[in-house]
Amino acid sequence: MTLLRLMIAALSCVPACAQAGDLDIKVVDGVGRPVPEAVVSVRPAGGIPPGPIQFPWAATMTQQNISFSPHVLIVPVGAKVQFPNRDKVRHHVYSFSKPAKFEIKLFGKDETRSQVFAKPGTVALGCNIHDQMSGFIKVVDTPYAAKSNAAGQARIARLPTGTAQVTVWHPLMKGKDNQIVITVPMPASGVVTKVVPVALRAM
Amino acid sequence: MRRKAMRMVADLRGRLTFKLTLLYGTLFVLVTILSLAATRAAIERYAEETIRRDMQTGSAVFDRITTMQLRQLNRAAMVLAGDFGFREAAATGDGATIASALASLRDRFQLDRALFVGLDGSVAGDVAGLSDTDIAELTGALDAGREEGVIRNREGHMMAAAAPVRAPMPIGWVVFANDLGASDLRALARLTSVDLHPRLVDADGPSGSAGVRQFETTRDGKRILVQERPIPTLMAQGRERLRLEYSLTQALGGYAPILTALLTLGVMGALMAIIGAYLASCRLTRPIVALESAARKVSAGEYAKVSVETRDEIGRLAQSFNRMVDAVEQREAKIAHMAFHDALTGLPNRTLLREQIAFGLQRADERVLTLFCIDIDNFKAINETLGHHAGDAILCRIGERLADVCPTGFIARLAGDQFAIKLRGAGASDQTGRAIVSAIGQPFDLDGQRILLSASVGIALSPQDGADAATLLKNSELALNRAKDEGKGNVRFFEAAMDAEAQARRALETDLHDALRRGELELHFQPLFSLKQNRVTAFEALLRWRHPERGMVSPVQFIPLAEESGLIVPIGEWVVHEACRVAAQWPEHIRIAVNISPVQFRSPNLASVVLQALARSGLAPGRLELEVTESLFIDDVEGTLSSLHGLRALGVRVALDDFGTGYSSLSYLRSFPFDKLKIDRSFIVDLLEHQGATAIIRAITTLADALGIETTAEGVENSDQLDILEAQGCGQIQGYFFSRPIPAQDVAALLDRIDGQASIAA
Repeated sequence: MTLLRLMIAALSCVPACAQAGDLDIKVVDGVGRPVPEAVVSVRPAGGIPPGPIQFPWAATMTQQNISFSPHVLIVPVGAKVQFPNRDKVRHHVYSFSKPAKFEIKLFGKDETRSQVFAKPGTVALGCNIHDQMSGFIKVVDTPYAAKSNAAGQARIARLPTGTAQVTVWHPLMKGKDNQIVITVPMPASGVVTKVVPVALRAM
Repeated sequence: MRRKAMRMVADLRGRLTFKLTLLYGTLFVLVTILSLAATRAAIERYAEETIRRDMQTGSAVFDRITTMQLRQLNRAAMVLAGDFGFREAAATGDGATIASALASLRDRFQLDRALFVGLDGSVAGDVAGLSDTDIAELTGALDAGREEGVIRNREGHMMAAAAPVRAPMPIGWVVFANDLGASDLRALARLTSVDLHPRLVDADGPSGSAGVRQFETTRDGKRILVQERPIPTLMAQGRERLRLEYSLTQALGGYAPILTALLTLGVMGALMAIIGAYLASCRLTRPIVALESAARKVSAGEYAKVSVETRDEIGRLAQSFNRMVDAVEQREAKIAHMAFHDALTGLPNRTLLREQIAFGLQRADERVLTLFCIDIDNFKAINETLGHHAGDAILCRIGERLADVCPTGFIARLAGDQFAIKLRGAGASDQTGRAIVSAIGQPFDLDGQRILLSASVGIALSPQDGADAATLLKNSELALNRAKDEGKGNVRFFEAAMDAEAQARRALETDLHDALRRGELELHFQPLFSLKQNRVTAFEALLRWRHPERGMVSPVQFIPLAEESGLIVPIGEWVVHEACRVAAQWPEHIRIAVNISPVQFRSPNLASVVLQALARSGLAPGRLELEVTESLFIDDVEGTLSSLHGLRALGVRVALDDFGTGYSSLSYLRSFPFDKLKIDRSFIVDLLEHQGATAIIRAITTLADALGIETTAEGVENSDQLDILEAQGCGQIQGYFFSRPIPAQDVAALLDRIDGQASIAA
């Protein structure tokens, strides 16, 4: 099974490796400050290549220090996300989001629950006990997705040539579904750098 | 009527009472007005401050209530927004659940409206009355973070509070609202202490952005205090302001009774002050009025005193006034006494006598009265020899003696040495007159010196001698003059003829005054025949008055008049000039003799008159002979001698006229070397009757010869007299026997005739 996945990954990689460029997105706010924790997902010109999607980070949303960590987690469609509780208090994680409406009621320290996210979209997480807790799971159906770092930068590597449809999402972004969609023509090779200014809602 | 009223007002103004009352009344009224105004201002200020404070308080209360209500709304909204079930329903878009939950909570909290506004602009709940625009605005405002405030829509105002619904990201807001209609505002207003008529106004425009604004306005004549403050609105564009109003007029109306009471008190106080000031000033001015009235009486000649008992300045003034009235009275009496009495003897004077006579003549029982006029003979000599003090003393004694003689008479001193006595009735007036003369005739003893006097008395009787005081006085004086004329120590009754005579004298005197100017005077000349030379050696110039109506007036008549009136001086001057002028045309050996009256002799310019006459006529001084009488030596021997020597120095001759009749002393013959003695005619007339007369003539001629003085006999009328005179050694003769006085133009003819005869006779 693992071998099969590796093969698929390799196959899908071949054409990309043959003709591909890197996309560097820099997300800034209205006054030019870098915006971290923004999710950049790209639909390349040739569509999303078939095959399972793998990200190099774990599909785990930890409850620690009365907050969700990470604040924003990108998972592929169908991923099963672990919810370990590292706090001494109990949490009651819930989501009323359409892609995944669920509740994990009152689980204690060192207990881990899991939840499968079958639909793409944004799942806003909250804790019914601790109103201040807020986290997001971005369920994507593309392997080209990344989260901006502290400098607001996110790199999507090896994008096929052609017009790429780039979606930038942030939980505080103003606008429908808290995201904007831009198109970026990707060259055959090289790095395309794009600065994306976004309007954020004050928290 | 109107004029009378005006005069009354003017009269009132002139009074001190009115002035004082006006002053104090005005002062009090002013003070009252000022204090009323000040009180009113203070009350108004206090009232306004209170009202403003009330308004501030009301406004603050209103603000606080609003805030509390908004918080309640907000709490209610938060309760719902925090509910897990509601959040789930809201997040999942479960409209029915949302609506039921909103209604449930709205009812539980008794609110007017409850609605849910989604982040995407969707609404649920009580949306009635909200337009799409309203909803869009509301959503925008909520999205911008506004959570509470006033909302305005078509139907009115609402007070609204919102709470966000988080799942956990904000998905919308629960909005609870209460209607804020007029009745709701009134209900709110009842919570404040004063009714501030709260009203929400839309204050668009530049002023709307200002903070709390307070101002005053006038509506329907009432002063309204207005405060406007912005109140929080939910919509960003909304500029709702809460307007509070308070009627100052109405509030101040509450103080009206106090002001009315004060005004009433002030008016009453002013009235009382005016009445009090009037009474006080009446008290003050009463003595002044009394003084004024008394002063008016005194100035009208009455004797008026005031009785003021107060011890203040006015009392002292009244005392001074009374003293002054007394002093004036005394002085008046003194002056009146002085006006009617003689200061020396204390006897009534002529004025009082005249009044007394007039007073008596008016009364039936005094119509018959006797008036004695008394004059002391030669009293002048007493003053001159013994001095005025002695004279005054004797005058007083005379007054006393007169009182002794006539104890019932009214005795007055008329002037100098003249007295008068008024007696009732007319009986025995002759006896009384003689008694007076006798009383004065008694010797007076003055400091051991015996003094003899005599008095002349003139008597006039009423009513026959005069029906009024002036006539009686005049007639008694005429009688006195007659008595004196007829020798001293006489008593004479007035006779009607005296009056006529006196009048004639006055007329003559008036005419004499004009005679010289009119050339009515002329000189006649009587020759003096020298027995030794047997020819005319001189003429005596004799004055004649040719009156245009009376004809020739006798010198005996007018010379005394001229002497009394002083006219003799100019007349005498004329005589000297005229005589010299005429004599200058005569032969050299003929002199001219001119009589010099005593009055003329004493006039200081006689010497210069003589000198001028000589110079003007060219007559040699030795041809002019001045004839003077012995009476000159009676009064002032030294002066007379000095004047005679002065005349002699001019070179003129001096003859002594009427020798032997006047002054009996012969010593002056030794003192002055007369050129000639003229023997008085009385001796010549006696020559043929008395033997002694011849002896006197001889004595005179012998004396004259011894002294080297010529002699002339006057009044020779026949040859017998001439023979005796020639036999006794008389040098010259003069008289009718040779010639009457003749006019100047006849002199030459006379000379021819007499000298011719004489030469024939010789």
